[in-house]
Amino acid sequence: MSSSLTLASDPAVRRPRRLLIVLGAALIAATYVFLVVVQPAEIAGGVGSTASLVSLFGFLGGGALLVGGILPMLSTSSLVIMPLGIALNIAIGQIAGSLGMQIYLDAIGTVLVAVLAGPAAGAATGAISNAVWGLFNPLALPFAAGAALIGLLAGLAARYGAFRRVYFAPVAGLVVGAVGGLVAAPVAVFMFGAAGTFGTNAIIAVFRSMGDKLLVAATKQGLLSDSLDKIVVFVIVALIVYALPPRAVRQFPFARTYRVLGTRTGTGTGSADGGTAGMSATGSSTGDAADSRRTPTRGNDAGVA
Amino acid sequence: MPRRRIYNPLTELLAAVLLVVLVLVVDRWEFSLAVLLLGVLPAVLLSGRPRQIGLVIALVAGPLLLSSLLLHGLFFPEGTTVLADLGVARVTVEGLTFAALMGLRMTVFTAVLLTAAATLDLPDLLATMTHRGWNRKLVFVVGSAVGLIPHVAERAHRITRAQQARGLVVGRGPLSRMRALLTVLTPLVIGLLVDASERTRMLEARGFSSPGPRSSYLPDSDTPRQRRTRRAMVAAVGVFSAAWLVGAP
Repeated sequence: MSSSLTLASDPAVRRPRRLLIVLGAALIAATYVFLVVVQPAEIAGGVGSTASLVSLFGFLGGGALLVGGILPMLSTSSLVIMPLGIALNIAIGQIAGSLGMQIYLDAIGTVLVAVLAGPAAGAATGAISNAVWGLFNPLALPFAAGAALIGLLAGLAARYGAFRRVYFAPVAGLVVGAVGGLVAAPVAVFMFGAAGTFGTNAIIAVFRSMGDKLLVAATKQGLLSDSLDKIVVFVIVALIVYALPPRAVRQFPFARTYRVLGTRTGTGTGSADGGTAGMSATGSSTGDAADSRRTPTRGNDAGVA
Repeated sequence: MPRRRIYNPLTELLAAVLLVVLVLVVDRWEFSLAVLLLGVLPAVLLSGRPRQIGLVIALVAGPLLLSSLLLHGLFFPEGTTVLADLGVARVTVEGLTFAALMGLRMTVFTAVLLTAAATLDLPDLLATMTHRGWNRKLVFVVGSAVGLIPHVAERAHRITRAQQARGLVVGRGPLSRMRALLTVLTPLVIGLLVDASERTRMLEARGFSSPGPRSSYLPDSDTPRQRRTRRAMVAAVGVFSAAWLVGAP
């Protein structure tokens, strides 16, 4: 189905606004450098209002600029799975948070979107996800830029083959998590005094009892928790995308073009009539009978692309 | 009973954000406390459902306050005035002060934004964004994400019950938990993706990716006066913040 049957397509709409993306990335980087280089002395003496203002506006503003630059270039198929990723992030993150776990599990949707629809869609999903989550839990709001970075890096990892084998995924998760932890730590410290769940605070308390400064302790905790979290998240997402029917993966141009799942993603032509492969081709023992709404009859549909 | 809406949601949201900015700029506990008692408390009481909003604020801010108090109250190596030495942990005055100040700020941050968000009429906000010419893709993503969240939670619940009927037992170990998570997540994601692909075709058939302005079924509740007020509020807070930060020692 092509919209050009009825309306002339406008190539300008699809062009990314590079200036906005560059500005957003620069603002996030500048905020991080400012927080790490200039501020550590301030937090011990008081709660540091400038630092929290800078972290709130630098990271939120940077995230907003990134989203503004990325959205015009996304296709409808990418846009449609972004709300799905956002809803998954919030639903699962809320459960993990309320259970007081040491990991967050709030990036499953972001990584899933990044793997299927690419780094740009992943970054936008991460940022918008935290903004929407902010309506239910404002504490998620300042971490929007970190979430965008996770989506971007997960998409790049997928593009360069981190999901072509299930066992590559935890390695990519470790690297992405370490970067994410480094970025999130100053936000947690300067906005909330590093308070989080009981699980994460227990880890910070261990480092603090050894005499570490708050920012150092929170960074070490971020490196530990985020790396572990992203290893788990990347493995979960890898297992999920491998259990997906091939035609569900093939409808995404990014997954097709870069053969994100290796040979399983098809030969690149990505014809929609691959749908005849049916849903049962990859049905894992876990996924098969559970959801009666999965409707195997949809395997007879004309095509999904 | 929900209160009668006077202002546009965008105006309310902006007012809440600017209030948070003021709290961060002024950075005095007296001001934060005043905002909490004179601003947030009356707003919650007049919201029409004070109990729900109060509960939500307590559920979000409460655990954070408690964990902050435990973390800084017991482990604050910079503290010099020791109240009690518990071996590994030391209760210090500086740590307790830091926890109290941070706790107050977090509570104001959470309470102001949550009160604004909980009384927000989301369809009205999305309609305003459409009328104001915001990026339609953003409006679509935000609107459909908010609509999907209860659907995803409900569907996950149904799949969990189906898996439990097939013998799923969640053990205490991390591996068992992860297996349980996967047995629920995999069919959930597959179902959602199938839905999404159908939605893609429907949206394309209705000209979603075509350029041009969009219209909204809901009337525009924004007025030129409120737009002027919003600009004036931003300008006033901006000027005040600059003056305060420059004038501060």
